[in-house]
Amino acid sequence: MAVKRKKSNTGDMIVPCGKEDSNSTEKKSNGKEHLLPSMIKNKEKRSAVHAQLKHQKKLEKRKKAKAREADEKRALEIGEEPPPRKIPRTIENTREFDETICKPDDEELFAGNDGDEFSSILKHESTSKILITTCRFNSTRGPAFISELLSVIPNAHYYKRGTYDLKKIVEYATNKDFTSIIVVHTNRREPDALLVIGLPDGPTAHFKLSKLVLRKDIKVCCCISFIFFQNTNFLHSNSKASYCAHKISPKNHGNPTSHQPELVLTNFTTRLGHRIGRLLSFSSFNVEATIVLYWLWNSTWKDRIRNILSAANTIMLYWLIQSLFPQDPNFRGRQVVTFHNQRDFIFFRHHRYIFESKESKQSDSKATKGKDTKDEKSAQEKTVARLQECGPRFTLKLISLQQGTFDTKGGEYEWVHKPEMDTSRRRFFL
Amino acid sequence: MPRTTTVECPGCPPIRVLTFDVLGLVKVVEARAKQGGVPKVVERWGEPDTSRHVLAASINDSKFDPLLAVARKSGVTEVLNPINGDLRGLVPSVCQSDVQPEDDAIVGLHLFKKQISDSSSSSGNIVCSKVDGSENYALFGGKGVEANVWDLDKCTKIWTAKSPPKNSLGIFTPTWFTSATFISKDDHRKFVTGTNNHQVRLYDISAQRRPVMSFDFRETTIKAVAEDLDGQTVYIGNGSGDLASVDMRTGIQYCQHVLT
Repeated sequence: MAVKRKKSNTGDMIVPCGKEDSNSTEKKSNGKEHLLPSMIKNKEKRSAVHAQLKHQKKLEKRKKAKAREADEKRALEIGEEPPPRKIPRTIENTREFDETICKPDDEELFAGNDGDEFSSILKHESTSKILITTCRFNSTRGPAFISELLSVIPNAHYYKRGTYDLKKIVEYATNKDFTSIIVVHTNRREPDALLVIGLPDGPTAHFKLSKLVLRKDIKVCCCISFIFFQNTNFLHSNSKASYCAHKISPKNHGNPTSHQPELVLTNFTTRLGHRIGRLLSFSSFNVEATIVLYWLWNSTWKDRIRNILSAANTIMLYWLIQSLFPQDPNFRGRQVVTFHNQRDFIFFRHHRYIFESKESKQSDSKATKGKDTKDEKSAQEKTVARLQECGPRFTLKLISLQQGTFDTKGGEYEWVHKPEMDTSRRRFFL
Repeated sequence: MPRTTTVECPGCPPIRVLTFDVLGLVKVVEARAKQGGVPKVVERWGEPDTSRHVLAASINDSKFDPLLAVARKSGVTEVLNPINGDLRGLVPSVCQSDVQPEDDAIVGLHLFKKQISDSSSSSGNIVCSKVDGSENYALFGGKGVEANVWDLDKCTKIWTAKSPPKNSLGIFTPTWFTSATFISKDDHRKFVTGTNNHQVRLYDISAQRRPVMSFDFRETTIKAVAEDLDGQTVYIGNGSGDLASVDMRTGIQYCQHVLT
């Protein structure tokens, strides 16, 4: 009892210091100077003070949120504009300044693109032919993963590894006119890394592979419908909710057809990212249409797709438009593969999609009214795209990009990850 | 991606650097402030075009008639004025595009012809070569080719290196020199080479055939070696983008810059 009283005493003593008085920030700063929880040596008292602090902060936050909501409601009722919503601070928002971010008017970038190793395939002058193989050791999920890759990537061939040297394999493949090699590396019987080698003398990219989910394991949450113009963000939890906004029907995975999928590459902003994006599209797809979306300055899906659909003047998308529009009728396959880069992790997803025109509920309820409603109906019709995930799902992280074919000792590295590079949480390289 | 860089003697700006890249552009980067400052690209010569990919360049920095020779992938060698980038002359190169000559501008033509005759006689590929300050001696090295020094007037090989003996584990690494430079402009006897096996070696012709000093630098191949004007310091760069400056007399690293 005595102990308890002492605790409450200390609690009472500390609060009047003015630490949690949110009205006067001066008092707060003074209070903090006087006593931080970290200055208390006694663990019990310290943890009590800390818990109290956190509780106070939580109450304040809730109060602020309620006040904000009340303001908005009031403004809507009156008919005024509600106060503008604040933008949350995210790590992507506060990314460190990177001078290698591609700019839309960089002619050196385009000249480099024209002359690099991938240009002939990406301009559809020649077709890609891919060789898939593994490392020398067996793995449990490796063969299943490779069979799924074979179904996703068009014109891919699988050869058993045997005991061939990788440099020899590169030679054989060049002789047989392959355009790239993908080696699925295994560690502890699990596919662990992906080595993508462009041929004949293309760059070698070494990726770390994780979170592999095979087609048979893709279950409930995969049949998603989302309104076409909406923010998509794989990591930000708020948007996840909006991504799965509509009814999630408990269907199983979809099976891919034999049509060639379309390719979507998003958020590869820096020079290195641009190069990796080109390497991935070069080594994966004999693309019918490649949509390369650059996540410029926090633009939303709405802006990007609007740009594409309205044949925007952004120079960044110039060659993509050239490849897209003439091939409109080939969108029959309705399959799309996405490589989405976020915080240097590249997410691979494979979906089948279908467009549906959905009428919103309001127009349904007013259907009896007559002519007025017709306009309302057309105004409120939205094009909805329903997705069904099929194929494997995995994430990649770039370990190193080496110029030339596979040569770890003697090759020159364009980019290699070193622990010294991880200077801040807001620094990304792709 | 920059491939070759030549640093001019500090004239008006403290540091003036010419860089050459895959797109065939020549950029001039200058650092204005005395303590270094932020270097900026001041000029850019040429149009971006990958067929004009620069393979090698060398500069002859005399006061009266400075010349800069640039060898491009298309087989053409251009001679430019390094101050303002005007084209002084064109030389259609005789050798194929895979051979990478690095030579002094004045002796440029000479060496090109020699390069062919030499490479046909030796087995293996010559990867690096350097001409010393007085332009009488040339140094060659390559994959499977030991470092050789040739006398240019008589066109004879005067010295060949010998590879170091097997190490304690009994492993013999095959010879593969990736870059070489004479340690000072006046002395043709001492030179530094970098190997594919992340080793940097100092040779002295007058002393012995084995390297006088050799040390390891990080884990990837040494791609570039350049000497400093004072005749002692050497700058090394490797395949992972790390740079260091080393004092060749003692082997101590002065400073190191790791690419992040």
